[in-house]
Parts: sequence; structure tokens; C-alpha cells
Amino acid sequence: MCGIAGILLKRDGVTVDTGRALIDMLDGCQHRGPDSTGFALYGDQHKGQLKLRFYIGTDNEAGNAIERLKAVFAEHGAEVVEDERIGGAYRVVVRFDGDLQKFSYAVEHAAKTMSIGESLEIVKDIGSAHDVDDVYDVHVFKGTHGLGHVRLATESDVEPEASHPFWATGFSDVAIVHNGQITNYWKMRRRLERRGFEFATDNDSELLAVYLADKMSQGIELKEALKTSIDDMDGTFSFLVSTKDEIGYAKDRLAAKPMIMFENDDLIAIASEEVSLNRLFPGQALDTREPPPGSYNTWSRSI
Amino acid sequence: MVTIDLNDLEIREANERIREAAAQGESIEVLNPDARHHIGVGVIHPVDIHVRGSAGYFLAGLTDTPRFHVESNVGWGVADNMYQGSVVVGGNAGAIAGVAIRGADLVIKGNMGSRAGQVMKKGTLLCCGNANFMAGYMMYGGRMIILGESGERLGEDMSGGEIFLGGNLTSLGSDAEVTDIDSAEVDEIREFLDRYEIPFKGSFQKVVNAGKKLRYSTSERQMRSIPYFNFSGDSDYWNRKIQEDVYIKSQIGRYRVRGYGGARELPHLSDIAFRKDISMAAIGDDPVGDVEMRTKIGGKNGANPLDLTMPVLIAPMSYGALSRSAKQAIAIASGMAGIAENTGEGGMSDAQRDAAGQLIFQMLGGRLGWNIHDMNRADGLEIYISQGAKPGFGGQLMAKKVTKELADIRGIPAGIDLRSPSRHPDILGADDLVIKIEELREATGYRLPVSVKLGAGRIHDDIKIAVKDGFDFVELDGMQGSTGAGGAEVMEYVGIPTLAAICEAETALASIGRRDDLEIVLMGGIRDGIEAVKGLCLGADAIALGTAAIIAGGCIACMQCHVGQCVTGIATQDPEHEKRYKSKVEAQHIYTFLESVRWQIAAITKALGHSNVTGLSRDDLVALTPEAAEITGLPYEPERRNADVFQEAG
Repeated sequence: MCGIAGILLKRDGVTVDTGRALIDMLDGCQHRGPDSTGFALYGDQHKGQLKLRFYIGTDNEAGNAIERLKAVFAEHGAEVVEDERIGGAYRVVVRFDGDLQKFSYAVEHAAKTMSIGESLEIVKDIGSAHDVDDVYDVHVFKGTHGLGHVRLATESDVEPEASHPFWATGFSDVAIVHNGQITNYWKMRRRLERRGFEFATDNDSELLAVYLADKMSQGIELKEALKTSIDDMDGTFSFLVSTKDEIGYAKDRLAAKPMIMFENDDLIAIASEEVSLNRLFPGQALDTREPPPGSYNTWSRSI
Repeated sequence: MVTIDLNDLEIREANERIREAAAQGESIEVLNPDARHHIGVGVIHPVDIHVRGSAGYFLAGLTDTPRFHVESNVGWGVADNMYQGSVVVGGNAGAIAGVAIRGADLVIKGNMGSRAGQVMKKGTLLCCGNANFMAGYMMYGGRMIILGESGERLGEDMSGGEIFLGGNLTSLGSDAEVTDIDSAEVDEIREFLDRYEIPFKGSFQKVVNAGKKLRYSTSERQMRSIPYFNFSGDSDYWNRKIQEDVYIKSQIGRYRVRGYGGARELPHLSDIAFRKDISMAAIGDDPVGDVEMRTKIGGKNGANPLDLTMPVLIAPMSYGALSRSAKQAIAIASGMAGIAENTGEGGMSDAQRDAAGQLIFQMLGGRLGWNIHDMNRADGLEIYISQGAKPGFGGQLMAKKVTKELADIRGIPAGIDLRSPSRHPDILGADDLVIKIEELREATGYRLPVSVKLGAGRIHDDIKIAVKDGFDFVELDGMQGSTGAGGAEVMEYVGIPTLAAICEAETALASIGRRDDLEIVLMGGIRDGIEAVKGLCLGADAIALGTAAIIAGGCIACMQCHVGQCVTGIATQDPEHEKRYKSKVEAQHIYTFLESVRWQIAAITKALGHSNVTGLSRDDLVALTPEAAEITGLPYEPERRNADVFQEAG
């Protein structure tokens, strides 16, 4: 149960800081989820380099996790370019050109992986948008696009790794934020597990991410994958998905979960509530749209 | 004109200023709304309120007579439950526009989101653009005018009212049909459009209820239900009860409906006992005077708490399931005993309000009888999510009980088999629920405790949501709770026993370190002061009595509450039956019973060595059966089975 937000700057030269924009949007709907907050941020990429983020916590175990990770890096030929600890997170940049899925599963077994991507970095922790920003400096982030999420834990515990956004375990640069509940979760998960995919959590949002990433890895366009997700997933859902260069949404046929969007020549912004969109344009009445039930769409950067 | 700038004021203070200005008859303008929620909720004066921008959820919710003018968009639930007055929205409206309106005019110049007009009862909802999925869903009455396209499933499960469609009909909902339109109706629509200066010259189609689902198609043959316990314990597999059920289902082709509580043996409070010998409980002349029992409930977040002379409430029971006279008797008795009564579904009557010292007003998904004026005169507000007897299901009120008078109060068509919605239009998750709770608080100035009625199902998760969403207390209802009408199998087999419910709730709250942030009122088949004390020992802050109070007031437990011909005049709306019921006499009986509960609570508490009911704890209990030990985690002491407190504490 939660609030979601997403923003994509359509072209270069738009003077919006995506980190700051997502903090503002999430602060606007923090009432929907006070337990934890997270961001999926897409920034610069360097050829042949992967950014990895792990949640290792701040206790004594953290050092062991780093040791385990370094062993996995060495084993898989990932050369560490830089690394740092920020709050409970461990951020590493590596040079890597091997089998990403195998590598992902290996690091996942060594430590709780939040994201892997050439561009994507997921920042998430317990607390409000401002709490998380205080630790991780999300506001300085100036990327092209990103997603955000505030969470009220219902079935699962309040833990950083159960927070959103979810990375599509095993697939580079795919992230998801989701408001709702997938009721055929286990059925769909078993279907994917039979094909060799691993899941890092029991969260239905991770399933959505892996489902979409799997489709895309088969050469299916994101938009088409969103369309089939509406048929394949049961339950109530409004979700946003992002890849290296686009964002998209899908909404269930029952229209049980809110979503509203604003678009102009510069950007597309989507959120659970208009109050979040209005945070980007204070004092203005916006020409917004509520996507109809069972709809989906994508936006990409025009370069 | 009073100007309120939301850049300078928090919404709570802004709403207080808006209500003050409205009471003075001043027009109001709201600047920089920036799609904030709850603007102008709870206004009950006929003033103009101009919103310069877009508003968020529940604009003009829970109001009567104001006239709102919004320049741009509104979020979910615009004009929620609005009685008289009007809202004109310059832009688009989100989902459930005009939910539960009861007389207001709502004009949306743009498009509107899904489920517009859900459970609306009276008034006019005009959408100048396109409607969306399931417009008119479960509509009970009033008029909806859509100038653009209908969206899918127009009029889904509507039971009354009319929908006039100017644009294209995408598809009809279940039990809706297109019917002829007469010229007088068209004239009235034109007049409405003219009044709001809407230019539209096209023609209309009219959509109404098709009448296929308003009543059960076959009625159940009237016969006295054979209670489950007549055969439980015997090895008689295809016994008389099973035969009767099969026979009746062979006639009606559906599940049976009956009233009253579950009859199946379940692990219960009678399976645990007090650790100490309480056989001396009756010794001493004044246990009631020696034990502090005064209990305040609902004040944890700053609201005025209920102030009870003992940790006991009356469980929610509706005017509808019960007669007005029966509700009045219970209210009188609760007032005499100094405890709180609860309206249940279906609204508040003057007689009930006047008789009850403290009264909780309950809101259900159908919003039947729910309104701002009765909220303002309540002592607590309660959001019903589910009940122990049939968790996950809505209430049922058979046609015989849906009289003209009752239907008027609820705002529904008379003579239908009323199947109340099992879920709220605007609560589809914990996130929406937060915004709804806040609306109730904003509308009543944060004075009243807001509680949640939770049927015991997925307690471990749901109670955590209840505390996180900021409820002041929870009324936790176990499986042994009764109901006026429910599916027979559901009542016997669905839910979690009361004993397990309180234990799960305690564990769940403790697991997130929030036990002290939420009070628990336990109910569901609690029969006397002894079981009340056991509930308190297990952690409940108070307990509630429903069926026990009804029996004290003359119920003969025939299990035919749903039929509507209750011979005692309790569970009926038929004046011939109701006149047998002597409210004042029965009130005295109920009161006398409540005093017996008070004495038992005091005597046992004292015998256990406490001077205050707050001293009761799990340490005072042991389990008598393996099941109860497993459920509660109490020490298993079967040898105490013979030292039954029922014989010794009397």
C-alpha cells in the first residue's frame, strides 16, 4: 500500500533536477506510506561499467558483506573501479562484460542487492522522503528520469530491502514502483522460476519487474510487455516501470488504484495523486489526465 | 469575502477558518489549493466557496448546503456524502465523483474518473465530458446526466435512480437496461443544464435498473432452523440438520440465510480459567465499590475519549436488523449503565441519540444513513471494515424489513433484498484509508475518536494497518459474533474465533512495538462478566456485548432474525410485531443484566488480587484444553477443568 511517482525529462536542457523533483512529489503523498521511501535514479553511464547498490546495514555484519561481495567480484571478473558506503548502502562501480544474470544471482547470494545497471541506481531506506534524502543526498541527483515510492508495509515487514523501487533481479537497469496487490503472485512466480529466474524477495512488485524485464530480453517492446501484463496479472495495481531510456505505466481493469499524469513539452510526470504533481508547479492549476482502467503507455527521451 | 491561502495555513486550520466564516454567512475564497485534500469538508452553511485552482480528494465532502466553485480539477470523491448544496468543477474529476450524495447538485465540466456516483442516493450528478468505468455503480437513487461517452459497464448493479446519457453508450453494467424517456424528464434535464449554463442540444438515452437482481428470485421456505449443536457431537453423519439444508437448497438453488450467531463449538474464553481460586469472589459486601473500573477509550491521539463506568460497550447492531424499539431499549440501558452504545449500519435516530449517554456512529460501505449532522452529534465515529460473523461480506436485510420508513432513512428503494456493499467506495487499501480517516477528522474538527470495526480474519496484518493508519481504537470481532442475516455456511465456518483474534492482535501489535498506540475492544460471543474478565486479561482494553444484551432484552434465540417477523418485536420492522416490544421494560432488563456483568467483573478482579481492572493480565489465566493452550500460549492445566468458575463465582 503506497504512493508512487515518476518523472522523465523529454529532452536535454530542461532545468529540472530529477532527484529534487521526486523528493517533492513523494513528500506530497507521504501520507500514503510513512514506513519507507525509495528512488530509482537514472544518471550518466560509462561504457563497460556497471553500478551496483547493496543494502548492508550499519552493524558489524556490513564488513563481512563487503568481503563476500569482493570475493564474488573477483570470481566473476568484475574489476572494482570505485566503491563507497553511504548510510546502510554500499555502492560499487565495476568493469564487467560477462553474463549479467549469473553475476547478479551470485552477488544476490552474497548481499542484499538493491540495483544493478549501467545507468540505474536505487536508493531506498526506512523513513520519509526527507529522511532518506538526509542520508543519501538524493536532491543533488540530476538525471534524465526516475521513479519514487512511499510505502506503508502491510503483509511484509518494515525493512529497507522490502521497500520500493524494485529492481528486476538479474536484468540491468529495469526498476518498478507499484501500488496495489498482485493476487496470482505465486502462480506467476512459479512460472518464471521454472524457467530459471531467481527472486530476491517475496514481494509482488519484484515479480512485475522480472516479468517485464524477461519480456524485453526476448525482444518485446516495453509497451507490448505492459499490455500483456494487464492480461497476465490478477489483482489491483497501478505501476510505473523504467528502463535506461524510457518510463511506462500500466493500470488494472478495475481502476482500483489511483494514478494521474501531467505532460508538457519538457516532461512527463505521473503520480498517485495530483497533489504530488502540483508540487512541481506550485500555485498553478494543471491540465492533468487520469489514465483509464486497463490502460498502459510509455514515454522515451527524444534525443 | 474571507480569503484562505493554503500557502500559509495547514489544511486543518484552514478548514476551521472556513467553517467559522461559513457560520457567519461569509463567502470564502481558497488560494493556492495545489490539489490538497479535504478542502471545505464539514461545512453546513449555505455560503459560496471559491477554490482558485485544483483540489485534491474529498473536496466538499460531508457537507450540507454550501456552494463550491472549483476553477480546475478535483481528486477522488468530490462532494462525498453531500446533502443539499452544489459543487461546480471547472476541470476534470477523479474517481468516485459524487459518491453517496444525498441531494446535492454536482456539475463537472470536464471528464470524470471511474465509479462516479457510487452508492449515490439523491441529487444530480452532471458530467459534461466523458464518464469512465462503472459510472452509477451500486447507485440507489438520484439522477446522473452524462453528456459525453458512458465508459464501460454503465449502471453496474444500480438498484434505483436514473442515468441520462447524451453521448455514446460503451456498454451496460449488470442489471442495467435502456428504457424509454419521457418529455417531462427531458425538460427537467434542460432546465438543469440552463441553470448551470451548459449548452447542449443533443438527445438522451435513459438507463435504469433492470430489476433482475433486487430480490432473491426464490424465497426460502419458512421453517425453524435446526441449530448445529443439535447434531454436533453425535456420529450421525447425514443427520436431520444436513438433510434439511440439502432439501431447502434443492428448492431455492442457493445458500441458506439465517440470523443469530454461530452455533458450532469453537475454542473460546470458556476454555481458559483463572489461575487463582476465585471461589471467594462473592465474599465481601461491595466488590463494585472496591475495584476501579472506569475506562476511557479513544483518547490516544487527542480526541475526546469515551468515558465508561466499566470496560464494557454495546456492540454495533443496526436499526434495520433490529426494530427502532429494540435499539431504543439498548440505548436507554447503555445510558443507565454509563457505557457506550453504537448505531451499527443504517443511521441514527433521535430516540436512540437522546437515550444513549455516549453513542458511536458507524459508517459502512453503502453509507446508509451516514451524514454530517449525525456525525456532529455522535461521541465517536467508526469505520466498519468487516464483522466477525461474516468477515468479508456485506450486511443483508431481507425485503420484509426494508420498509418505506427504513428505506427513507437509508436513502434506498423500499422493498428490495438489501445486500450492502462488502467494501467501501473510497477505501481500497490502507493508503486510501488514511485519507478517509483524515476526512472524518477534518469534518468534525478532530474532536471525536475514530475507531475501526474489524471482523477477525487476517488479524495479524490488519491490526498493524489499523495502528499505522492512526485509528484511535479497534473493535475486534471474533467468529462467535452474531448477525441479523448471513449465509449459513459463512456464519459457521468463516472467520477466526474470538479467543484467537485477541491473541493474534496482541502478538501483531507487540511485534512492531505499537501495542500502546491502539486500544482494543473485544467482542464476538462474550456472554457474561466472567468471559469479559478473561478478555481483559488477554489484553483487551474493553469488551462489547451484543447478543447477550439482546437476550437480556427479550430475545428467544429462534435464529429467524432475517425473516422480519420476530415475535418478540426485536428483529422486525413490522409495526404489528414491534408493538409487542416494551422498550422501557426491556431497557430495565438489559440494564439489570449489565449490572450483573459489572458485579462479576468487579468481584473476579478483586478475587484475583487487583484493585483496578487495568491490573488484569495473562498471568491471571491458565488454559484448560490443548487447543486453547496452543492458541493463547497460556500454561495448560487440564486438572482445573473440574473447578469450573461458572459454578463457583456465581
